[in-house]
Amino acid sequence: MEPLQKTEPLIKATNLCKFYQMGEVTVKALQGVEFEIYPGEFIVILGPSGSGKSTLLNLIGGMDTATSGELYFKNIALHKADPKALTFFRRNNVGFVFQFYNLISNLTAYENVCLAAEIAQKPLSPMEMLEKVGLGDRATHFPAQLSGGEQQRVALARAIVKNPDILLCDEPTGALDYQTSIQVLQLLKHFCQKYQKTVILITHNSPIAQIADRIFYIKDGLLSRIVTNAELIPPEKVTW
Amino acid sequence: MVMLWRKLFRDIKENKGAYLASITIILIGLMVYSSFSIVVNSLISAQQKFYTEQNFADGFAEVISMPPSEVKKLRSLEGIKDIQGRLVKEVRVLRVGNKTAEPEKDIYLRLVSTDPHEPRPINDVQLHKGRALNNETLNIWVDSQFFAANQLAVNDEIEIVANGKKTILNVAGTGSSPEFIYIMRTKDEFFPNPETFGIAFIPFDMMKTLFQEGATYNNLVFTLQPSADYKDVEKELVAKLDAFGISNIYPRKEQISHTLLTQELTQLRSMAKSMPVIFLAVACMILYIMLKRTVENQRGQIGILKAFGHTRREIMAHYLSFALLIGFCGGLLGGISGLLLSFPLIDLYGTFFNIPGLQVSFSFSYLLMSLLLALAFALFAGYHGCKSILTLAPAEAMRPPAPPKGKSILLERITPFWNALTVQGKMSLRSMSRHPGRTIFLFLGIMFTFSLLGSPWSMMDMAETMLYDQYEKVETYDVKVNLARPVNRQQAVNELNRFPGTRKAEALAEIPVILKNEWHKKEVALLGIPQNSTLYTIRDTKGNRIKPPTNGILLSETLARSLDAQVGTKLQLRSPVMKNPEEAETIVVAGIIPQYIGVNAYMELDSLLNLFQQKDLITAIMLSIDEQTIPLLKETYQDSMFIASLEDNKEALRQSKEMMASYGSTIYIFLLFGLLIGFAIVYNISVITIAERSRELASMMVLGMSPKEVLSVITFEQWFISILAMLSGIPITKLLLVGLSQSIDSDLFSMPTTFSVSSILAATGVTVVCILFAQLMAARKIAGLSIVEVLKTKE
Repeated sequence: MEPLQKTEPLIKATNLCKFYQMGEVTVKALQGVEFEIYPGEFIVILGPSGSGKSTLLNLIGGMDTATSGELYFKNIALHKADPKALTFFRRNNVGFVFQFYNLISNLTAYENVCLAAEIAQKPLSPMEMLEKVGLGDRATHFPAQLSGGEQQRVALARAIVKNPDILLCDEPTGALDYQTSIQVLQLLKHFCQKYQKTVILITHNSPIAQIADRIFYIKDGLLSRIVTNAELIPPEKVTW
Repeated sequence: MVMLWRKLFRDIKENKGAYLASITIILIGLMVYSSFSIVVNSLISAQQKFYTEQNFADGFAEVISMPPSEVKKLRSLEGIKDIQGRLVKEVRVLRVGNKTAEPEKDIYLRLVSTDPHEPRPINDVQLHKGRALNNETLNIWVDSQFFAANQLAVNDEIEIVANGKKTILNVAGTGSSPEFIYIMRTKDEFFPNPETFGIAFIPFDMMKTLFQEGATYNNLVFTLQPSADYKDVEKELVAKLDAFGISNIYPRKEQISHTLLTQELTQLRSMAKSMPVIFLAVACMILYIMLKRTVENQRGQIGILKAFGHTRREIMAHYLSFALLIGFCGGLLGGISGLLLSFPLIDLYGTFFNIPGLQVSFSFSYLLMSLLLALAFALFAGYHGCKSILTLAPAEAMRPPAPPKGKSILLERITPFWNALTVQGKMSLRSMSRHPGRTIFLFLGIMFTFSLLGSPWSMMDMAETMLYDQYEKVETYDVKVNLARPVNRQQAVNELNRFPGTRKAEALAEIPVILKNEWHKKEVALLGIPQNSTLYTIRDTKGNRIKPPTNGILLSETLARSLDAQVGTKLQLRSPVMKNPEEAETIVVAGIIPQYIGVNAYMELDSLLNLFQQKDLITAIMLSIDEQTIPLLKETYQDSMFIASLEDNKEALRQSKEMMASYGSTIYIFLLFGLLIGFAIVYNISVITIAERSRELASMMVLGMSPKEVLSVITFEQWFISILAMLSGIPITKLLLVGLSQSIDSDLFSMPTTFSVSSILAATGVTVVCILFAQLMAARKIAGLSIVEVLKTKE
């Protein structure tokens, strides 16, 4: 894929809608969302529970398909892509970090990271990534033997090892205590700045937005406003 | 995808009990397939070789007496390749080697003449040990089973009574003939008994000196030209042999040894095909349910894998690998264990079937086929178990599934019943309706287990009915004196009536006849029984006594089916014993009765004698006699030239009981199969249910319910289904037995189809035991649930 110019958006959404069935109920998760995200940005999507944040993240990450509207990643039309194309999009371009880590319980920390590295085109070194997140000495431990924070750091290493263009984080600190949350945020910020990768993080915890370049406010499936953060603060200065 | 393989092995290890159960079931099914297939192939291979090398006859004929020169003339008949004559006689054995025959054991030898100078004998004997026969001494070859059973050695002597005279025969060797692969004295016997009956081959020139018939044959064997039609040749032969008193002529397919071997091969083939399918189908269902459960439980993991960019094919391959690995292990182990099992099986068949060179003829194709079958079933189960969730988008896969639709069920409308249930009972019944597939599987699995357990017990009951009814209700005589030649009926009966210890003597006639109804034809023995006989009691299906008809004929059920006859049907009857064998008499079917051993027709004795216009056409005398005087009876008449043999009914029953006992091991094998399947099904479903409902069950324990009360949620459901399944299993088992009985019905025996109360109770008992055992394992799992861990885990 050809590199974008700095002014060209990495991700562009136009009138994006997503409705889905949950049992007998139709949920309008997103309604007419429009935005652009540029390479190397740290974006926080902020909104209350059930506002559509995760849905938006899933659409950006190719985990789900829009009901209507347009969504482009570089020049890939994600809204038109078939499941196979979306699979390869995620394989080559996207890293995910989830609230509840979602590690494979039967694999060690190292093996969980290798699981992602095995399918990447140009992966980074799994052991190096584990060391970067401070878990080099816990490589042979299973998730059940790790604390929540350690598990989340393994998940982060797993996402980063693929060397993706974008890192999508769904409430990555939601299940962690304050100190551990800061550690994770520091790692995310470091990844964004050092490797010039785009990080999109969703949270309902508003103080976290202070570390972002821009903040997307979402409520009831609508993108109410996009705010550029004039005064970023480093993760370690964030308090809640 | 190294990491996914590691995940696979660790996932399997976590549920090793369930996967082991599946492997075991696949293993058993394919072990049966490969072992039985190998045995069938080995038997056929040895049989074909033996038949070809020893020039097995295409047809057999029995005549009263025929000079050798006349036999030679028949060689020119169209269609005949070769025809040879023999003298065949049965003799009583007094001493075998150094052992004197015990008085209560009737030992007989069938002497079959041979021509040592014949370049290509029909039904040639293959010598195993010893020397060639000569025309100078009374030397014989005995069949290898009689040889071994009586611990004979070459040059041992056998003392016989031939034509009323004691004679010593020298055992020159031991061998086998394709005519006597399965050696039974008469069609009425159930099992061979090599200790008391054997075949002895003796040069014709020596044998003719033993009997008053002299240098004549009473038995012919013939082979056909490749293009010849047996029916045409038979017609020609009957015409030619009429002058020599032809009494019977039949093709190879009706020869007793060949028939029994063919039947056995058919049954083996049938089992080799049907049993693996049943076991594989059960394993398939278990694998399907387990994989479906695994995939549903790992929904989140599948979502992650999809999120990372694993393709659907890669994820499908990962989950299919579960099934394929199980299939591969089961198939490989099944094939190998089948091969190993074939060796003792062949040895076992070797004790019954006297086929030289019978050995395991192994082919890799069975191992390969076992693997392919197992993999095919596993792949089918795996694919259907996995496919639904793999079509989900990653985001949806990572979301918890929508809760199953909760609504009231039909049983709730039966208010008194519903109100009587505990909360656990209500939970169980609602769970059943929410998982219809699983409910049906448990139902079918228990029903199948019940049938699998009930069938062999019933077959033992049925076999007992066959034997004991025959010997204790129908043939109620103590001894049957078979006559060697026609005698004055009244004199013979009076003489035996006067014998010490005799309570009653009745005459019996057993006449070979040909019955015909349109194009249906059957050659059978027609029994003439005295009107008020108490020693041979014909019974109807309810066990009530029926008198033999004076006007008309009774047919056994199998015979009636062969002739397509009902009560009132007019049959054409011919017999070589009639004054005019070519003329047929018309006779009406007066009744149809059950007969489990042999196939006969029955008439009142005097009416039969009138029909044949013969006064003294009796072939035997039945005696009711004190058991203590039977040895004296045998001793008195053993040398008589009028008496061919003495059959001790009690001895025959005792031998049958012994043989039945030796088949008891078959029940235990079926029992084991049934237990394994029943346990595997119930255990797997319990494990799945506990895993899926661990949150629910843990919540109940938090509320204060004991593990036993919590377990009852699962066990109530299982017992509810199992009781219904066992009740449904009763008619299914009966159908199975009817089908089984019809498949083995033959001229030699037919099986009654009764599913006795004792069999039902036995099957129920064992099914209950295996359910309880599986539930015990489930109870341990529930007791081992860590409430805190379970409730902490994100759903």
